Amino acid sequence: MDKRANRIDRRCFLKLLAGVPTFVALRSVGIVYAETRRYGKLVDLGRCIGCKRCMSACKRWNGLIVERDELITDRETDLTANNWTVVNLLFDSRNRTRKTYIHWACQHCIKPACAGACPVTAITKLPGGPVVINEKKCIGCRYCFQACPFKVPRFDFEKRVTRKCHMCYDRIPLLNYMKPACVAACPVGALLFDYKDEIIREAKRRVQRRGGSSYIMGLTEAGGTDMVTILPTIPQDLGLVVAPEKVVNRNLDKIRITAAGFMGASFLTALMYIYATLTRDKQESAHEDPD
Amino acid sequence: MRIQIKKFLDTILSSVEGSPAFYVWISFLTTLVALGAYALLMSLIHSMEILEFYTNIPWEMMVSNYVFLVGSSIGLCLVSSLGYVFGLQRYEIIGKRALFLALITVILGLSSIGLHLGHPVRGAIYNALTPNMGSAMWYMGTLYPPYIAFIALWFWLLARAELAKTATESEGLKAKAYRLMAMEGLKPYLYQRLPLQKLGEKLNRLLPLERAGLGLDSDGVELRWARIIGTLAFIYALLAYTVEGSLFAHTEARPFWYGALYPVDFYLGASFCGFAWLLAAGIVTYKVKGDDIPAKLRDLFYEMAEILALLLSVGLLFTAYKMGHGLFESAKAETIMLLLKGPFSPAFWMIEIAIGIVFPVFILLYSARKRKMAGVLVASIMVLVGYFVKRYDFVVASQVYPLIKRQYPLHSYLPTFMEVLLISGIIAALLLAYTLGVKFLPLKEEMPIPRAITK
Repeated sequence: MDKRANRIDRRCFLKLLAGVPTFVALRSVGIVYAETRRYGKLVDLGRCIGCKRCMSACKRWNGLIVERDELITDRETDLTANNWTVVNLLFDSRNRTRKTYIHWACQHCIKPACAGACPVTAITKLPGGPVVINEKKCIGCRYCFQACPFKVPRFDFEKRVTRKCHMCYDRIPLLNYMKPACVAACPVGALLFDYKDEIIREAKRRVQRRGGSSYIMGLTEAGGTDMVTILPTIPQDLGLVVAPEKVVNRNLDKIRITAAGFMGASFLTALMYIYATLTRDKQESAHEDPD
Repeated sequence: MRIQIKKFLDTILSSVEGSPAFYVWISFLTTLVALGAYALLMSLIHSMEILEFYTNIPWEMMVSNYVFLVGSSIGLCLVSSLGYVFGLQRYEIIGKRALFLALITVILGLSSIGLHLGHPVRGAIYNALTPNMGSAMWYMGTLYPPYIAFIALWFWLLARAELAKTATESEGLKAKAYRLMAMEGLKPYLYQRLPLQKLGEKLNRLLPLERAGLGLDSDGVELRWARIIGTLAFIYALLAYTVEGSLFAHTEARPFWYGALYPVDFYLGASFCGFAWLLAAGIVTYKVKGDDIPAKLRDLFYEMAEILALLLSVGLLFTAYKMGHGLFESAKAETIMLLLKGPFSPAFWMIEIAIGIVFPVFILLYSARKRKMAGVLVASIMVLVGYFVKRYDFVVASQVYPLIKRQYPLHSYLPTFMEVLLISGIIAALLLAYTLGVKFLPLKEEMPIPRAITK
């Protein structure tokens, strides 16, 4: 074989020189690496019947403790360290006769603020979509609670770590692309698990078919989330406070705020210096170091 | 063996001479510390739930206590840097007391946050192994250890000469302990054991330490090194506290904390806390001991009282600005109304504003003009109480407001009994450490450091 075939000539080298950074840049922008490769969870509240089978399936798969009577239908439950997903009844504030069940869990933000806040990088966004807490690394500082726009993480007082839904990431690749436990348990197809772009397409299709005032939550909230929820009406009517539409975890914002602190610090230093020069006695300056 | 122990105890007791009131005070504080330790032990044995069990309010009184104590430490560091960094010699005499207070407050503040963490040891390990450069908390964990080291070194440099003097004046175990603290005789010992002399000569050739008056044998070396270390500590204090404010201000999901105002607000709070701590601790110590305050120090205290009044009025202005600015942002306004009109309003108006800022300004100005020490003391203690409540409101009020579901009422929060025990244990440990420090360490405001010019 000709040895020359394996060599990189100048033209090829130039191509690589231009191509590799372009590829890397595009990847980081997120155009190439986009919705086609991530998984997402669709929650269709128009179909949810509030049976709480998703809750019990979640508990069974993840080995969580059942606390008292939280699995009874229509019983108000809060997210806890042993309750990674809850189903609650919400009333429409404009029309009290209209009520809907809401399936609430970690929304798996595309740019998770919790991961940006964690001081020891215990929280990671997996390439497949789940936002996962490494419980062996979590120091229990609860800064992620503060950063989370949906207030999802909960502290486990026994294990002294933070726990939350991880979209059954241990189930997805291991068992031949099985769905998360809650999705597999849903008897009415209110939960759906697929590639993210398929999920968005399906959500839009359902909303279009249903008409009315349906609202898709998760497309823009907190910069987009991998759990997409179809609400029967806008979130404000249901008493839900939606996260700001801009991306929460912005490093530029953090730098801006810290810079304000530095400016305050330099201002303080300047004030102290001015105070020192103005009030220093002549006697004192005579005692200063001669050298 | 028993005789030896008895002898040992006797020597300790004989060195701790004091009035009955002193023993009562010490035993009271020790009891509180023991109760705090009991609460901690129970939380380790049973569950952390006995300390803080509100699922919706993850940061509670331990965090606010931590912010208060660390802010005090930074403020004390700023006050002592007036003397050693900015060259105001009249402030140099209070350096030792300020730095000792700064050291114990920052250590107890960090232990307060350490007990709040689920896994403090893990925190130290993974902070070093897998850092997250985008997280303010990582910078916090990284900047405080060098700050503590610099503060401790600075204090030691200032206290060394007097420790050595006490060692020569006393005998037996006490002399040994003080000699150890002053590290007296370390240099000849090291020179005998290790080939350090050659190393020292080489180092001197590389860095002209001797010529700059920084060599070990130079005259007034402590003061010169104290200035260098003090500058470093000052810089680290500013860095660490900027990050501390940013830690809260970065959280966009907590509208009350979010924004560029809080890092600046933290500095203001720290600076008046530093003055207040120093005035309160200094005056109380002189009053309890029954000593006369030296004239020089008396003048300085009144001057500090006036500066504190000025800082407090700036703080009041800043608070008004902060609240007014927040009311125009719809996300912040609802939390701010909790403070202005809601369940936090008694604490806000009565303690944070009236007791913490407004009354002290008048009392301080009046007593500085009339030269009444008691007024200064009362006002500075009021400032401290106000600042503690201010930080408590700041941490808790923001979290009480429910963010996701408006249908719920406000989250309720009351410190648990065990939490109160632990916090009072930490505060008692602070007072105990200060009492023992006054007893054993040279904190008195004299001029012990060899001045740079002795020629």
